[in-house]
Amino acid sequence: MVVLLVGMCPGLDEDLLQSLRAADIRTVEDLVSSDIEDLAQKCSVSYKALFAIRRVLLAQNTAFPVSGADLYEELLSSTAILSTGNPSLDKLLDSGLYTGEITELTGGPGSGKSQVCFGVAVHIAYQLKQSVIYIDTTGGLTASRLLQMLQTETNNTDEQMEALQRIHTFRLFDVGALLDCLYGLSGGGLHKVCVGGGSVKALIVDSVSAVITPLLGGKQNEGMSLMIQVAAALKTMAKDFNVAVLVTNHVTRSSSGEAQPGLGVSWSHVPRTRILLERVERGASGRRSATLIKSSRQACLIKEDFDLQWWSRAEGEKGGETSGKRKLDETDT
Amino acid sequence: MNAVRMRRPVSSLSLGSSLKGKLVRAGFQFVTDLQDLNPEHLSAEAGVSQQEALEALQAASSGHAVAPVTALELLQKEEEFRNIVTFCSPLDEALGGGVPVGKVTEICGAPGVGKTQLCPQLGGDVQVPAVFGGLGGQVLFVDTEGGFQVQRLVDLAGAAVRHCSLLAEDEEQRVAMTTFTVETILSNVFLVRCRDYVELLAELHLLPDFLSDRPRLRLLVIDSVAFPFLHIHDDLSQRTRLLQGLGLRLIAAATDHNIAVVTTNHMTTRLRSSHVQLAPALGDLWGHAPSIRLLLRWEESRRLASIIKSPGHMDATVQYQITCQGFRDADQSEQLQSKRPRTQTDQSTSSRENTRT
Repeated sequence: MVVLLVGMCPGLDEDLLQSLRAADIRTVEDLVSSDIEDLAQKCSVSYKALFAIRRVLLAQNTAFPVSGADLYEELLSSTAILSTGNPSLDKLLDSGLYTGEITELTGGPGSGKSQVCFGVAVHIAYQLKQSVIYIDTTGGLTASRLLQMLQTETNNTDEQMEALQRIHTFRLFDVGALLDCLYGLSGGGLHKVCVGGGSVKALIVDSVSAVITPLLGGKQNEGMSLMIQVAAALKTMAKDFNVAVLVTNHVTRSSSGEAQPGLGVSWSHVPRTRILLERVERGASGRRSATLIKSSRQACLIKEDFDLQWWSRAEGEKGGETSGKRKLDETDT
Repeated sequence: MNAVRMRRPVSSLSLGSSLKGKLVRAGFQFVTDLQDLNPEHLSAEAGVSQQEALEALQAASSGHAVAPVTALELLQKEEEFRNIVTFCSPLDEALGGGVPVGKVTEICGAPGVGKTQLCPQLGGDVQVPAVFGGLGGQVLFVDTEGGFQVQRLVDLAGAAVRHCSLLAEDEEQRVAMTTFTVETILSNVFLVRCRDYVELLAELHLLPDFLSDRPRLRLLVIDSVAFPFLHIHDDLSQRTRLLQGLGLRLIAAATDHNIAVVTTNHMTTRLRSSHVQLAPALGDLWGHAPSIRLLLRWEESRRLASIIKSPGHMDATVQYQITCQGFRDADQSEQLQSKRPRTQTDQSTSSRENTRT
């Protein structure tokens, strides 16, 4: 519903606006859907003038179709695939995070979602030399852990500091602040962030369910609406600014005891790809298994195991440095 | 396609839902529609009071967004505050120095395992003066179970003072010892008793103001967070929502005011594919709230502490001891009398042998 304002199109002046208001026509929709002849008589305006105004308003507010070929060209030139840094995860994601899309990581407490987010942020900031925006709503963001992960990639402190400067963090704890932040970024904040060097290629929100689940259910009626608004803001940002969006979600247990992603069916349409993380029952403490539960590019339910300690190494090669959480004293340089 | 500036819908602003409804019905769907309007005009158009119109226009004006902090600045900020030591060195090492400031740590365990022992100890440890490597901070205790014992706090405070006075070497440390006594320790402890979840939630609602008035406060202990909620059986979804709101408030308090939040939790049985398991109470959704989870348990005659969730450290299990001086390394069991008396004499020698490996 767009309110009719003076100067919106030629011919729409104050007097006309007043007479339209008197006839109870306040918005563009009202004008476009009403009978022009009838309206012309009521407001004592010429039929032609009103018809012209209607045509201009329709033209201003319509969406134009784009040909498939143009769309394809544009996608080819603007989409990038960002590797997560972990070969097993990349396999599941069909070589990495795609810009313009939302990817979701879901898992129970302690399943490693935040660790994966750290790994992705560090990889993009250090290897790909691009900026990352990290929105933390769980309080789990620990810069010393990011530094630990960087220290396994390089021993050069300057490079480490440079990479840390490419990760821009926000710590927010309610949905209003999250929406303010997202709209602030889209309204020009992203450009300010880019000034440091390297464009923003990834936006990580850990976790989106922490701020939304307290609003769902019970007698509250705003929760769903706010959830969908967050979804809309994330999707538009992903598309318009060509960033890869990575979000984390919690799990709920279905009646048979199986883990399924939280936030319900309405949210399940939002991310393009969904991965479920779980601890491996009898493995070493760093082992996790990731299962692809929704994807438009690969067959679902492919499972990959990986170790949080060995972020950038594939399954087979276990030599060299680890990105182990506890600092090891000496590693071969 | 050029990047068009996203139009923010009015329904995403932080305003009351009835106000937003009136604005949308009057045709103001996007924030850009609200800009360049004066309050009188808006209140006439939308049928809202002047006050509400002003509120809406303020919310619509941009400039609310917080500036980002780079990870480097975050690192510098983290290094500013030390961790709170537990005086049990393997545990401190596993936690990366101790209980961290700025995060929510949860201690879970079965009844009688020692959760309520660790809490007053941390209350004393946070007050260790900065010259000795401590934080010199105050502590707020929220007691929901009625388990807080002043006498225990006095014992632990005395132990901390003795420990530091033995360490005092130079002049600065000796001067600090004059103000670090059992009396001052007790005077820096604030105690609140909450009898049900309503009082607990109200207390946390008032927390930000309390914290702003006391910039020296570095530790908030809630013992226990589970007890007031375990009584709610009829509306479990409401319980979950309340807990999540509580969790968010605690995390916000920890981050914004640089305090360490420590909560204690009970254990509950969980049936997982026909085998029974003990798991922390209050469910999985609460489990996402604390950043660090410490599980205390008995194994035969040993006390074990396991880190089962942490953003910066691997899961680890260490052995500890509770003595009349509080939490200590398990190796000190020879000199000090342990809290739970050993029933058989040979059991104590065998446990000593275990700890030597």
